[in-house]
Amino acid sequence: MKQRLPIPTALALLTFCGILLLPQIVPALKNLRSLDPQRIPEVTQFPLRDGSGEASSDPLASPAVMEEQRTKRLVMAAPKNLIDPAHVLDSFYASLLEGGTTTILHYGDSPTTADLITADARNMLQQEYGNAGTGFVLMARPWAWYNHRGVEMSASNWKIDIAGISELRDGLNGLGGVSFQGAPGAVANWKLKDSTHTDLEVAYLAQPGGGEFTISAEDEPLGTISTSAEERIPAFAHFAIPAGASHFELRVTQGPVRLYGADFRKPGPGIVYSSLGINGANVTLLSHALNGQHWTGQLRHYKPDLVIVNYGTNESGFPKFIDSTWGREMREVVRRLRTALPGVAVLLMSPMDRGEKKETGEIDTLASIPRLVSTEQKVALETGVAFFNTFEAMGGQGTMGRWYQSEPRLVGADYIHPMPAGAKIVGQLLVAALREGFRHYKMEGLKEKIVQLDAEAAETRRRAAMLRPGAGESANNTTFKR
Amino acid sequence: MARAPPGSISWSLLLSSTTYFIFLVAVFFLYWPVARSRALALAVILFANYFFYAKWDLIYLALIPAASTIDFLIGLGLQRHARAPVRRALVTASITMNIALLLSARYVPLLFGRVAPAWNWALPLGLSFYAFQAMTYTIDIYRGDTKGTRSILAHLAAVSFFPTILAGPITRVSSLIPQFEKRSMLDPVEGGRALFLIGLGLMKKFLVADYLAGNFVNRVFDFPNLYTGAEALIAVYAYALQIYYDFSGYTDIALGSALLLGIKLPANFKRPYAAENIADFWRRWHISLSNWLRDYLYFSLPGKRSKILPYTNLIVTMVLGGLWHGASWNFAVWGALHGFALAFVRLWQTRFGAAKATGAWRYVNIAVTFHFVAFAWIFFRAPDFDTAMLMLARIASLSGPLANITLPLAMVIAVGALAHFAPEKWYDWSLTAYARAPFYAQAVVLALLVLGLQSVVQFGAAPFIYTRF
Repeated sequence: MKQRLPIPTALALLTFCGILLLPQIVPALKNLRSLDPQRIPEVTQFPLRDGSGEASSDPLASPAVMEEQRTKRLVMAAPKNLIDPAHVLDSFYASLLEGGTTTILHYGDSPTTADLITADARNMLQQEYGNAGTGFVLMARPWAWYNHRGVEMSASNWKIDIAGISELRDGLNGLGGVSFQGAPGAVANWKLKDSTHTDLEVAYLAQPGGGEFTISAEDEPLGTISTSAEERIPAFAHFAIPAGASHFELRVTQGPVRLYGADFRKPGPGIVYSSLGINGANVTLLSHALNGQHWTGQLRHYKPDLVIVNYGTNESGFPKFIDSTWGREMREVVRRLRTALPGVAVLLMSPMDRGEKKETGEIDTLASIPRLVSTEQKVALETGVAFFNTFEAMGGQGTMGRWYQSEPRLVGADYIHPMPAGAKIVGQLLVAALREGFRHYKMEGLKEKIVQLDAEAAETRRRAAMLRPGAGESANNTTFKR
Repeated sequence: MARAPPGSISWSLLLSSTTYFIFLVAVFFLYWPVARSRALALAVILFANYFFYAKWDLIYLALIPAASTIDFLIGLGLQRHARAPVRRALVTASITMNIALLLSARYVPLLFGRVAPAWNWALPLGLSFYAFQAMTYTIDIYRGDTKGTRSILAHLAAVSFFPTILAGPITRVSSLIPQFEKRSMLDPVEGGRALFLIGLGLMKKFLVADYLAGNFVNRVFDFPNLYTGAEALIAVYAYALQIYYDFSGYTDIALGSALLLGIKLPANFKRPYAAENIADFWRRWHISLSNWLRDYLYFSLPGKRSKILPYTNLIVTMVLGGLWHGASWNFAVWGALHGFALAFVRLWQTRFGAAKATGAWRYVNIAVTFHFVAFAWIFFRAPDFDTAMLMLARIASLSGPLANITLPLAMVIAVGALAHFAPEKWYDWSLTAYARAPFYAQAVVLALLVLGLQSVVQFGAAPFIYTRF
């Protein structure tokens, strides 16, 4: 009889399948299971289009439509993740309601450094409440990753010291946590997209033997500042910006100088939202690395209405630190802020989800993230500051896996850093939560006003009744009739 | 039947997935018992082809048979008619239909999907490899290079042969049909070679390509500014290895799968980074595509006898080849870079001769060619032109250190590079030794490899890079 099968190859294939299936029946080999027989029927499963799904689940929807629908769904589905039982955000809401300039300082790690999330939040808030300026920008890029949307930067010949990281550990690093030492030849350039700014303020350290720097706008000199002083104190040089100017240059003419950054403002009313990020930063930057007195001075100068503290991602890689010390460090940050800025709104913003690839190939949340978020919420409740649960707002456990697999991708291949589309969603979630809080604040205000007006009306009615002729008799008569 | 979203990776038959191998083993045991009956054997192959397509999206069950049947009928027309205008009209109709299929699957949703939702019918599987393969049939008959077939079953089975559908190798239909018509038994050594190729492809894919992608390359290309100049440069080298091991790993699995059914597909790679100039590179990299572009596009362009046009035709061919990968400036720049380099090499060889360099110069040529190819890969890999420029800016910053280069990563890069440049006789020796081993030894080695990959590799299978095109 003629052979019908290529026997050796068929046997090789059968033996191969047999070996792979062996761990299914030999319990001792269960760790070697690779082929799950229950998945064999998957071979006969076919992709069928389901017309009953909502529009956003339609794989044929355009990327733009999908992104819009997903964003809308995420924001709408966001649970009440803004917790503020002590109403510390009321002062911030009051500032918004008042309609002047509302200043927000947002401290954070690498996404903040790149102005991801913060730029979108700034943009949305400024669209709603007005634009009062670009906010605080560093002198130069300490990292290629540093960015401030709407500002092009170039600089040269600066020695850059980052709080808690550089050798220079005096903690005198300005509002942004980075100081820039320069001698003659050091230059910083800022080119603003928006040419309607009216004020520029340069933050520096006045010090014995301090040198000089000049500022120019569109190549026209605005002034020269001497940084010499009898003792080391933070100082600020203010300049009026000529109409239409958008390109600014700072040049050291006599050294040495130590500078921090520039703050570009407009008359307002509106929002100034400064993103103060440091690559790889953790909570100890604010609890220890920055000199307390110096930082207090900086904070008081910029008069924020809201300070957002947004750390945790870098720390999540060190579970022991989270379980033992992290909460204590965050309490110290809150204490420092409270001391520096009594009565100012403080919001602890939890880290985003952080993913890791499991042995199964699934991208899941790093185990320490939920613990860290829970600790942070506890700190916020105990210290009486507000808390925004970014992790839950994004979707909680496994979000990074879902965001990585979405099209377009919302998070990078490190499962940590959001892509611009992902950062925008987080920014929208934060702003949506603050907007909701503001709406409640206004409703409460209205309720109080209504109660007050009711009371006033009742009092007016009572007085009017008293003044009517015969009012007392009538009342007595009524009583009599009873 | 279970419900699953069209194009869902979990249901689709990626060549590195468990479901694909279950499917392949099933096809093997269905095919060989009936292989002596030509019609039954072709029916099994055709069933397997359409089953494979249906796993991606059921719409292919309408598209592919319709397009293939039209090409078959055009082929019959070409066989019957000798008049040049009729033949030209027929081949034009075939080319137009296949290009329309290619463009409509890729560019219509891209161009019109945003403005009109009705045009959003992007298919999960690009049809470019199918279209390229299908066109070889009618163009070859038109040119008189082949006679064509009168068996619709043979044509349908060959033109949509499942191992070549995702990412090639682009195989002339006229070379597949005779193999389907031959009914010889699979030689045990050939069977061993098939299993060896499949195992090698899995190793290339999981151990090198996916490791480099997941642990380093994707991260750097996502956020170049988070990495130093030195790390960005290493990411470019790593990507050069990743794309080679990914694509050649896929090709090995495709070649092995076809060989299990007794079909020999053309080789697609020949140590491309050992090329001594860019023309040599294209004789070693994605050979089936470069041959296709040469035979069906470059040779069709006018001006063969002109002094200038052959050079511009090279550039045009490569720019079109670049744009075939996607409608973006990145791919246009990538194609243009290769086109200009090919034109330069041709000009050089016309002026100074094509003598091969010897000694140290040979290695200098290899290094220069590799770095040019790696430079061009930046545009190919970056998600957009700005990111490509950002990568170049990071590399130009010449900044260190190498904090993100871990020891395992450095080892994978080193092993990948060494394996690529290893003498070909080592590969031949391993292949022969495995293929001649007894069946149980082949099975045990393959099983150990799969179990080893499972324990070593932390990442699930990522889609092959070239299945996007």
